[in-house]
Amino acid sequence: MELVQDYYATLGVPPTASEEDLRTAYRLAARRFHPDVNRSPGAAIIFRDINAAYELLSNRQRRSEYDQVAHAATAPPSLRVETYYSRQFLKPMSEPQLVYALVKITPELEVSLTSDAPMNLCLVLDRSTSMKGPRLQHLKSAVHRIIDECRPQDHLSVVAFSDKAEVLVPAQHPTDPRMIKALVSTMRPDGATAMLQGLREGLRQIERNRDTRYVNHVILITDGRTYGDEEDCLRLARDAHERGVGISGMGIGEDWNDQFLDNLASITGGSSTYIISPNMVSRFLHERIRSLSTAYAERARLITAPATNVDLNSVMRISPNPMALAATPQPIPLGTIDGLSPTSLMLQFHVVTQDAPLGEFYIGRADVSAEVLGSTQRAERIVEDLSITISEDDVDEDPPAELLDALSKLVLYRLQDRAREAIASGNIAEGTRKLEYLATRLFENGQEDLAQAALHEKENVLSTHTLSDEGAKRLKYGTRALLPLLGDGKND
Amino acid sequence: MEGALFCEECGLSLWEDSQTHVSTRKLEDGNSEFSVKSGWGTATFQDRNQVIIHIRDAAEPVTINPLGEFLMGRKDSSSGIAPDLDLTPHGALEKGVSRMHAMLRKGEEILSIIDLDSANGTYLNGQRLVAHQPRVLRDGDEIRLGRLVLHIYFK
Repeated sequence: MELVQDYYATLGVPPTASEEDLRTAYRLAARRFHPDVNRSPGAAIIFRDINAAYELLSNRQRRSEYDQVAHAATAPPSLRVETYYSRQFLKPMSEPQLVYALVKITPELEVSLTSDAPMNLCLVLDRSTSMKGPRLQHLKSAVHRIIDECRPQDHLSVVAFSDKAEVLVPAQHPTDPRMIKALVSTMRPDGATAMLQGLREGLRQIERNRDTRYVNHVILITDGRTYGDEEDCLRLARDAHERGVGISGMGIGEDWNDQFLDNLASITGGSSTYIISPNMVSRFLHERIRSLSTAYAERARLITAPATNVDLNSVMRISPNPMALAATPQPIPLGTIDGLSPTSLMLQFHVVTQDAPLGEFYIGRADVSAEVLGSTQRAERIVEDLSITISEDDVDEDPPAELLDALSKLVLYRLQDRAREAIASGNIAEGTRKLEYLATRLFENGQEDLAQAALHEKENVLSTHTLSDEGAKRLKYGTRALLPLLGDGKND
Repeated sequence: MEGALFCEECGLSLWEDSQTHVSTRKLEDGNSEFSVKSGWGTATFQDRNQVIIHIRDAAEPVTINPLGEFLMGRKDSSSGIAPDLDLTPHGALEKGVSRMHAMLRKGEEILSIIDLDSANGTYLNGQRLVAHQPRVLRDGDEIRLGRLVLHIYFK
């Protein structure tokens, strides 16, 4: 689908803007994003867009042609983007200052009801020897449940892999659930984990019905590490992303590589899940697919293009499916926008205000684009400027409650992250101190089980000088699971 | 750091009792490696300049001194085509790189790229090039040959 540019939004002016307004807005924007001054990720893309927009709008005839076409196509925007800041006023300082921005993307359900967009879904299942027993049994029954829940418009395929991949269920509409279930039941545990094979075959099945009207998604479920082909898997994920296909990963037990699976999923804007015990596979798989089946928009992405003197230090998807996202390269893939709950992102900026004039200070943009599914299928792009005010005055500010709540959870995730980093680099004293702090904060938050796990892990690190595979995953995904905003969470 | 609402060291809220915690120590941040530069750099390419080509997913960048013309493509011994930069080791075949795909040409203080009517096209910053029409390259430009992505830097 061709992304229809909103040239006015790109320049940040209303459609009624005069030629003078356009010129002023163009100069301002060009100054902010010109590659000579702004080397930040995403700036080049925006600079290009701005030039294209100004080139068109500054030509009277082309503008009026565009207005007619755009007007005909203009419906109210079907996504809403809101931003909350940790503070709106900063003092001039040479030291970097922290600013958090919570960006909330909400479907306008009045505009178009949640779509019944078909899923083009492929389940890629690890059937290596280690899956033997309850893991494979629970996995089979989880897949059986999914087969029953698929809608007539969906396409489903199932691939199993160990040393090599085999297509258990070629891509098809689930018109004969009994036959499909029988095919899944033939899966036997055997061999090693060669993920690349499975992923490649899964993407091939997706390709057979790939369509921009669908949610095209691969869910990879594994319990082990793949050796030697992780880089190739990531490359496959980048290719998949370019074709608009999402990938989500689920790891059962302790032995899989969480950093790899997180990475694989985040490349496409997908999600990753830690499944502690096999009897929870069904619940998590069901929940993940439910959220894909209520997709409102697909292939969402974010460009922030921070200003000079501003760094975007981290991006976290808070809800749904919390996940650390890479701040570069941009655009940042956001994947599927769920129709039932807002998508919230926490952006952390380091801002140097020293040489900036007092008054409005531009941090960057929240340039969100996505393809809205369903009967009103179209590309949507919302551009919001992110800006704060530089002032010498002391201003008492109350951060928005929602942002504060998210940050109070995010700090826990960060603590485990830093503990893990410290321990990995051999700094045991630092790592165990962080784990202790983490336990204290978790107790304060009423998360007793997780707090106990942190203390237990601290003891373990003191004696073995390393985190246990299980402990590392429990703390990481446990603190991450606390992130979804109150009221958005779907914990069932 | 000024503006922190929670202590990065211990996770304690700094917001309610900001009098006691004025500023936190800046921790060495492991993820501040913001080296990805996607900008529009200079178009000036001097005689002394070298070109550094980053091939996506390749371990090492390729440094070249383009004297006149520099052919990029896929080596094919049967037809005797040997490009200056052979992209076969980078998955050229499956990514749709032609044997004679595109050429870099050094001009008066500029470097340009020319698509040699390749089967799957050459893209400059996402825009498909018209075959045989030179386009001036800038430092940091992204080139795509079929589905193989390269970044060009001047040094």
